[in-house]
Amino acid sequence: MYIKKKKTWLRLILAVMAAGFVASCETGIDINTDNQDVPIVYCVLNSADSFQYVRIQKTYLIDQAALDFPPEQDSMLFKGEIVVTMERWSGGKVMETVRFAPTNEIPKDSGFFPYEKNILYKAKAKIVPNQIYRLYIYLGSKEKILYAEASSLGNLTVIDPMPLTQRKISLYPGTNYTCRWQPVENAGVYQVSIRFSYKETIGGVTKIKYLDWPQTFASPGSDAEYLSNDISGSRFMHILEDNLKSGDGIVREVIGLNFQIVSGSMEMKYYIESTAPSEGALMEKPVYSNITNGIGLFCSVARIDVNDLLLSPVAIDSIAYGQFTKTLGFLDHTNDRDSTNKL
Amino acid sequence: MIKKLAIWILAGLLFLVSCDKTPVDPPDTTDNTKPKISGTLEIEFRVPGSFLPPSRVLRADLSIAKDAESLYKGRFLQMANVYNSKLMYQFDLAPGVYYYQAGIICVAEGDSCSAASFPGGRFGMKWAIGTAEVKQDKTTHVVPQFTR
Repeated sequence: MYIKKKKTWLRLILAVMAAGFVASCETGIDINTDNQDVPIVYCVLNSADSFQYVRIQKTYLIDQAALDFPPEQDSMLFKGEIVVTMERWSGGKVMETVRFAPTNEIPKDSGFFPYEKNILYKAKAKIVPNQIYRLYIYLGSKEKILYAEASSLGNLTVIDPMPLTQRKISLYPGTNYTCRWQPVENAGVYQVSIRFSYKETIGGVTKIKYLDWPQTFASPGSDAEYLSNDISGSRFMHILEDNLKSGDGIVREVIGLNFQIVSGSMEMKYYIESTAPSEGALMEKPVYSNITNGIGLFCSVARIDVNDLLLSPVAIDSIAYGQFTKTLGFLDHTNDRDSTNKL
Repeated sequence: MIKKLAIWILAGLLFLVSCDKTPVDPPDTTDNTKPKISGTLEIEFRVPGSFLPPSRVLRADLSIAKDAESLYKGRFLQMANVYNSKLMYQFDLAPGVYYYQAGIICVAEGDSCSAASFPGGRFGMKWAIGTAEVKQDKTTHVVPQFTR
């Protein structure tokens, strides 16, 4: 009798334990690991500037749908001590050491990611051509040192356009402009960008506006005396048509063109190639990074700006009366819209 | 007989249905900027030598106008992009007589430009103006002549 009672109790305890075990089971699987706080570093040394900047952020992880909930500002920044230094090496010796200090002087564009606090690290440093630069970042919160190395570029010499306002630029259907420059040592990629400036008057209010038109990337040729990029006059008219609003009462006046010729290092070339849209079977490419203990890019660019060039009267008249741009309200080279000036 | 007729009617209907009467625009491959009947004006833009280094006297302007008045008023038909490295410039034009102007600029410092007869000294320009007749399907070659 005693043994039978004991067995019943034992069964009851087992049944309760089994029920508890089953109830404690969770069907959901946690697919995310903990956030690793991977450092993300971007630094593009610019030989045209006397100040250099480093951007340091970290990866973030949220449990909600990532595209619906922007991250908190603080979740993208490291806390604690951050020490950023850069060395310039030449002939196996350190020639210069610079230390970066935090700054928020450059505002960040508004958008999905937080933009209130744009903390960058800034140092006064003129980039010397054909040198090796080493970047060290100490992150106190992770007790980690990030490291990257990049070579500075040689001097960039632009042949055309010359900074000569008397030599006017003709860009209209049938007439292209050829931009030329000498190859730069250590460069892997080049780009020409054009800024078209104009005055716009709407309702008696005049504003100076501009339109940026970056050209496609150019690669260094083999032992070429100079490199060139043809800028299409027809395409220029289409760019204006596509990007400027037409409407009654809008009066515009051409001011001129600024040319920006940029050469980027090999690291920048690899980064651009790795982030370009995929072609062929390999749809997902790993994004290039040259930051040890983190991800990001440390590279250099050389840039020349040729500003305040004027468009030729024929180009201005083509914008005023041409088939693609005649509705944009541009004045002709005599500053009117008199159809007798029409070409 | 009826069977044959039916086949012919069906074939005719099929033929009519398959005809698309809406015209299809052919791709516009014409170059609107090039006159349909044209010749070529080729200008050999030589920069005259002087005691100044070649890199101090540069090509600055090369423009074509229909007549002298248009040239004077700056109503050009075409303006070339001039370069230091390019000697020959070509313009496709309808047959006729055209006026051209070629301009060179002095960029030397000091009084070198004045000494080389560039009016106004540095950034002073010299001009060569002339006429040329363009003939159909032919190339007219001209060399602008600058005064010393």
